[in-house]
Amino acid sequence: MNPDHELAENFRGGDEHALRMAYDRYGGAVLHLALRTLGNRADAEDVTQATFVAAWQGRETFDPDRGGMLGWLLGIARRKAVDRLRSAAREARVAETIRALPEPAATVETPERVLDRLVVADELARLPAEQRRTLELAFYDDLTHPQISAVTGLPLGTVKSHIRRGMANLRQRWEVDGAASGSRPAGRSRTL
Amino acid sequence: MPHLDPDRLVDLALFDSSADPEESVHLDECTGCQAEISALQQVSEIGKETEEVRDLPAPPESVWAGIAAATGVTGQPAVPADDVVRPLRPSANGRRRRRPPRWLPPFMLATAAAVLAVVGTLTVVQLTTGRPPAAEVTARATLNPLTASSARGDAEVLGGDRLRVGASGLPLTTGYYEVWLLNPDDTTKMQSLGSLPANAEAELPIPPGTDLRTYRLVDVSVEPHDGNSAHSGDSLLRGTLTN
Repeated sequence: MNPDHELAENFRGGDEHALRMAYDRYGGAVLHLALRTLGNRADAEDVTQATFVAAWQGRETFDPDRGGMLGWLLGIARRKAVDRLRSAAREARVAETIRALPEPAATVETPERVLDRLVVADELARLPAEQRRTLELAFYDDLTHPQISAVTGLPLGTVKSHIRRGMANLRQRWEVDGAASGSRPAGRSRTL
Repeated sequence: MPHLDPDRLVDLALFDSSADPEESVHLDECTGCQAEISALQQVSEIGKETEEVRDLPAPPESVWAGIAAATGVTGQPAVPADDVVRPLRPSANGRRRRRPPRWLPPFMLATAAAVLAVVGTLTVVQLTTGRPPAAEVTARATLNPLTASSARGDAEVLGGDRLRVGASGLPLTTGYYEVWLLNPDDTTKMQSLGSLPANAEAELPIPPGTDLRTYRLVDVSVEPHDGNSAHSGDSLLRGTLTN
């Protein structure tokens, strides 16, 4: 369920190395979320920095039973990015320069969608190699079960079971760590 | 008709196949199956978008400098990947079992596991591409938990002399995980291959002369740091190698 027990425990316990390790492991994802949400590199780097500082200062509030560390960090980053968008909009209204702002829809996405994508990508990378490979062929190459079987040399039944289990794993992680995890009731799908 | 088969639900959600008339009738009235397909469709859509976030660049070091200044933490960058990869390579004599050095503090092991988790895929690519000829998979096994658990894994024999093992969902331990080849006809006979980092992959040398037709059962155990090199008897995952 939570692949980061050890790092999370050390982080919560105030181990300074754990902060650097969390940054090395998840800094790229946090920056990506901020960049896609804000569309501005300087602001995105500020949000990344503020996210890790806030996470460290609030490390005792991290509850590993409620989800993984990546989801928690991305949740903090999302709130900080949204706050920044709101304050930018306020400033813009004050300055009456709203029309001068670039149209946001073209370059930015909802932070929730980016967050979901990062969490699912992280889980995909953790799947056993064959499960991961079969799902990549289905997702990225649009191959069907029989085509994946032909490409990988795996029996059709094995391909089906890898894909079924892989999808179940991605779904479970998404339900625990995804953007809607707080609002979605714990359904039966949580128990695989 | 009964609920749709789990494979069929994935078919409908991921592969855009259309429901046959009988299935359509069931789907019209079964909110459970509808919800399953809807969730799987969402996961599938998100999954298709993950390709663009697979190799994200790290933030510039100035971001870390700001974090360090604000928190008073002065961490160094993680151990270079090379330092972690090296112990995974087959040793020159290839015979000795490998274990993590006893003096290695838990944090170092955690660092190694963290770096491996991040560069896992890359590492395997480097390991396999750096050793011509390209590793041929001669046997493989799916590793299943012995008790009810979310642990899972798989193993592949590469080039007949190495075992690549990947596992995830292993339970937290203060000890470490160890990979064995067992003789399923007499499970007191076994061969240790080495240790496995938590939730990462390892490529372990298979001692020359090992008969994989006899020692065909891959076993992942959890071992305490008690100085006893024998199997703890606490197996987490097992699977039989097949060609």
